[in-house]
Amino acid sequence: MNTMKKETLRLKLDRSETIKSNIKRYYIYVVLVLMVLTLSLVKLDQGNFFERGQFLSPDSIINLLRSSVPIMILSGAFTLLMISGYIDLSVGSAMSLNAVVFAWMILNGFSFWPALIVTLLTGSVLGFINGFLAMKLRITPVIATLVTLNLFKGLALLIVPDGLSAIKGSAEKVMPAWINDFARKDILLGLPWAFWGAVLVILLLVIVQRKTILGKYAAAIGGNRLAAELSGINTVNIVWLLYIIVGVFAALAGVARASYMSLGDPLSGDGMETNCLIAVLLGGTAFSGGEGSVIKSVVGSLIIICVTIGLMTVIPAYWQTAARGIVLIVAVVLNHLLVRKQVKA
Amino acid sequence: MELKRVQKLLGGGRLSDESFITIFMCGVLVIVFGLACLVVPNFYLPQNILNLVTNNWYIVILGIGVSFLLITGNFDMSVGGVIALTGVLSVYFCQGVNVSQNALANGLGMPYVVAVLLALVCALGVGAVNAFFIAKLKVPSIIVTLGTAMLARGAAQVITQGAQRNTSLPDAFGVLGSLGIPGTTIRLPVLIMIALIIIALIFEKKTVFGRRVYLIGANSEAASLSGINVSKYLTALYILSALLAGITGILLASEYKAGFSSRAIGYEFDALVITLLGGVSIAGGFGSTLGMFVGATILSVVTSASTGLLLSPDWQFTLKGIVTFAAILAQRFALDKRKG
Amino acid sequence: MKPTENILEIRALVKDFPGVRAVNNVSFDIKRNTVHCLVGENGAGKSTLIKILTGAYTRTSGRILLSGEEYNPRNTRDAKQKGISTLFQELNVVDQLTVEENLTLGVEDTTFGFLRKTDKINKIISVLNSIEPSIKPQQLVSTLSVAKKQIVEIAKAVAAESNIIIMDEPTAAISESEIERLFTIIKSLREKNVTVIYISHRLDEIFKLGDYVTVMRDGKHIETKPLTEIQDRSELIKLMIGKTIFEQYIPREVECPDTILQVKNVSNHRLNNISFDVHAGEIVGFYGLVGAGKTELARAIYGLDEYEGDIVFKGQKLQPSPDKAIKAGIALVPEERRSQGLFTILTIRSNVPVMNMSKISSKGFINDTTERNCALEYVDKLKIATSSIEKEAAKLSGGNQQKVVLSKCLFADADLLMMDEPTRGIDVGAKSEIYNLIRRLSKEGKTILIFSSELPEIMNICDSIYLLYDGSLKSTLRNGCEVNCEKILHIVTGGE
Repeated sequence: MNTMKKETLRLKLDRSETIKSNIKRYYIYVVLVLMVLTLSLVKLDQGNFFERGQFLSPDSIINLLRSSVPIMILSGAFTLLMISGYIDLSVGSAMSLNAVVFAWMILNGFSFWPALIVTLLTGSVLGFINGFLAMKLRITPVIATLVTLNLFKGLALLIVPDGLSAIKGSAEKVMPAWINDFARKDILLGLPWAFWGAVLVILLLVIVQRKTILGKYAAAIGGNRLAAELSGINTVNIVWLLYIIVGVFAALAGVARASYMSLGDPLSGDGMETNCLIAVLLGGTAFSGGEGSVIKSVVGSLIIICVTIGLMTVIPAYWQTAARGIVLIVAVVLNHLLVRKQVKA
Repeated sequence: MELKRVQKLLGGGRLSDESFITIFMCGVLVIVFGLACLVVPNFYLPQNILNLVTNNWYIVILGIGVSFLLITGNFDMSVGGVIALTGVLSVYFCQGVNVSQNALANGLGMPYVVAVLLALVCALGVGAVNAFFIAKLKVPSIIVTLGTAMLARGAAQVITQGAQRNTSLPDAFGVLGSLGIPGTTIRLPVLIMIALIIIALIFEKKTVFGRRVYLIGANSEAASLSGINVSKYLTALYILSALLAGITGILLASEYKAGFSSRAIGYEFDALVITLLGGVSIAGGFGSTLGMFVGATILSVVTSASTGLLLSPDWQFTLKGIVTFAAILAQRFALDKRKG
Repeated sequence: MKPTENILEIRALVKDFPGVRAVNNVSFDIKRNTVHCLVGENGAGKSTLIKILTGAYTRTSGRILLSGEEYNPRNTRDAKQKGISTLFQELNVVDQLTVEENLTLGVEDTTFGFLRKTDKINKIISVLNSIEPSIKPQQLVSTLSVAKKQIVEIAKAVAAESNIIIMDEPTAAISESEIERLFTIIKSLREKNVTVIYISHRLDEIFKLGDYVTVMRDGKHIETKPLTEIQDRSELIKLMIGKTIFEQYIPREVECPDTILQVKNVSNHRLNNISFDVHAGEIVGFYGLVGAGKTELARAIYGLDEYEGDIVFKGQKLQPSPDKAIKAGIALVPEERRSQGLFTILTIRSNVPVMNMSKISSKGFINDTTERNCALEYVDKLKIATSSIEKEAAKLSGGNQQKVVLSKCLFADADLLMMDEPTRGIDVGAKSEIYNLIRRLSKEGKTILIFSSELPEIMNICDSIYLLYDGSLKSTLRNGCEVNCEKILHIVTGGE
């Protein structure tokens, strides 16, 4: 093709690329704002989740943010892993297992910090296992983490004594009331430690993604694994580390959840992995890796919370699954349209 | 060519990796079965063995669709949702019109056969949606099918308002679920399963269609260069998988005389598990329905033995997870060792 | 230590593969801080030589001295550490990262994991700046053109203090103006203490760019000379061809003068307004070097790529899809037999019938006996060396694998057979068998299009020769004794 034609085509591409990239960068905030506006305008008859039936009231917002701590934390770490081109579908069950472990420890007399540390250790072991299967044994990540999903869920179910649905207080053994404090007690602006802690760790993730070598290598591995290897990067170890990080964050999410519910529910994480996928897709992460943003995924997770909790007051509970399904498909379509492998000019 | 040379050329060839894995898993089955017989009283009774093979007929039927797709390197996690949806629809479509105050008892009043057919059409619709995103838009199958799973199950939940529909049904409704070979515990669904397995085996080994599925899995670029329309085949396979799930849904609804929105939760995992246990590899192009059946039997032995040992459902679930975990590790080691 | 005058000294280097000696006792020197060009036809041994230098292959015997010291890299990372970088045709940059991030990939400075901007980093960026100031470090690589991406790779290699940068056909995918810029940069590398080994078929570029040139042929070293001592292209071409005696081409009368294929004004991203006719029963050769557009032309005819223009086969316009092409009677033997032509994990028996399943099946059911017989028939007809038809295709030698691919295509009963690099990487004996087979097929009335970058191959069997350069059809000629190989090479290397 002659040079003239090539140049004109390139200019055309450039212009549409700029529009496209601007849409890409900001659409998720637009969606969030739209969502909030819609929900605040709709008349809220059902459910008593929101005080005084108002979506934008301080109490509603506080409730919303408090219950969104687990998904925010999880989707952040999930994003980092997806950027490297790998996936972990066991995050939901890992979270449940961690919640169970934490609740068990609190119930059996341990104080907050020891329980937290043990849970974090558990989480990192779970992440280590996932990394081992996916990187060392080179089992397809989807299959490996689907298997560990079931394994972790089973372990969580086993820890809970027969006859009970969760690790919780009973007549004989009382769950200390302070377990609730972490996720519910007002510390600052009405929001609890769990929330501010989540803000902190998410900020950490953002810094890791943008300013550290781990974030850079994750993007390099996801973008062009061969180029990364040729540059001397140890791709196996880097991604393994990412899996462990996801595991640790699943532990944090589990602690937050157990604290919020005052119990350790082995089924609390069901569907979390789909929520993470939705959040990450909305946030513009490419499934093939190389691109993604922790911040945007977290915004995506807020959107999901708005959908699940917000819609809950507007529509009957049994519409939940269908609603989430629709959101996922919409997220897939949006992601497909906006995040496509760049055609080489 | 002289006869001797012909004979030589026809023979030889070592056991393919696929046959190796199938035999390996048969060995595993024998071991697991043996262990079960040791620890569970009366495990080896003929009736029990029969049950092993027939109890999870629904997972096996699902496994057929899932295996074919996995051979091409794709997942289908929507089969559980499709079972729920078709079950619920088959009830809703033929419930009496305006017979009661309770909304859940009112339906569209169609004859049972029509209701069944319509429900199956809806299942095919789900398959088509899967195919569109996966074959046409090339979105990863794991995401798409997780989404359609939610859509299908969500629709079922909406129609049943989160519970179930089981009233004002025509008499014809329970027939399918109750038919069977008199004097035995073998019922119609099991016979359907057997028929489908045989058809699947024939398809896989003996038809052009089946051969092309393997070719796509082995090397999809070479397949399209050889004139195979990969997109068309994937579409067919997703529709097939949805159809199989739909049939299962109809049969289960008939058996329980109810359309339950929480039916079949987790079935897609089990279907995937038995496929993996059977040696189907996502790496492409190998594995077989026979292996999947062996895998299903292994799973059955594990579940049955756990029941026999009076283990809690939680233990059963975990045991399944551990067995799957061990199996994929073992297969990886066995194959790596064989290669070199 | 005083730097030696020669950065690289190659002494009696030999590389053997089973059945073929790819590098045959090669000895020459490369002077420090020069642009040293390496030319030769396909199969001359250039890429094998380069692969030995970069550590991808281990040599069979001989010595290499790098700056006077023994050089024996165990792998590519080793070679890189010793200062040898390579620019491949497949770009090795990460599109999603910025230019600066790509430049520093693998050599970052960090404190507790945080990326720091140190002097070292600034130095690396200044290298890019001195080479190509118009590339800003904060740009995303995905927004750069292919040429600029190449420059980023060059800057990375220079900044990594490579002493030698090997460039393999770098101009294949970039425009004229970009080539000029690239050359300025390459020439300036000499002042940066870098020696460039430049491999290309485009002789004009060699003359513009090079200080020295080494000519290889048939694995042997022919000559190394300063370019100032070479008069013109034809002298270079003479060295490249030498006195190779081509197997005699026997001219023949093409039986059927009917036009079976008409290509009319076909253009796409790589092809420029190509038009030609092919008569039934002809063997047509498309000759051109890397990047000429041969594969792209084959793909367009086969319906794999989009194009503007028309392709008419047997009087009907061709629909753009492989399965329609196969049904119409066209078959393609693809360029990469392992990844495109064969199902390596399947057996010979399963591979053969793939393109025409209806012949071994009835009503959709495969007839095992027919399948076996067909496999046996082709093993016999093409003399595929195997102990069994149940052998996995992966286990066959290159030549036999190619025969299986051919069987596949022949089985499709195609009237037009297209073969892309039919004998690449195949030993001499198998090559000869394949050529005889092609002639036989032509006698049976089949039309054959050969796309190749090996001139002896084209000269050997083709009735007509079409010359391609840079996506355009430059010239066509009938094969015969009067064919001037020098003129051919002149055209395919960019001459007029």
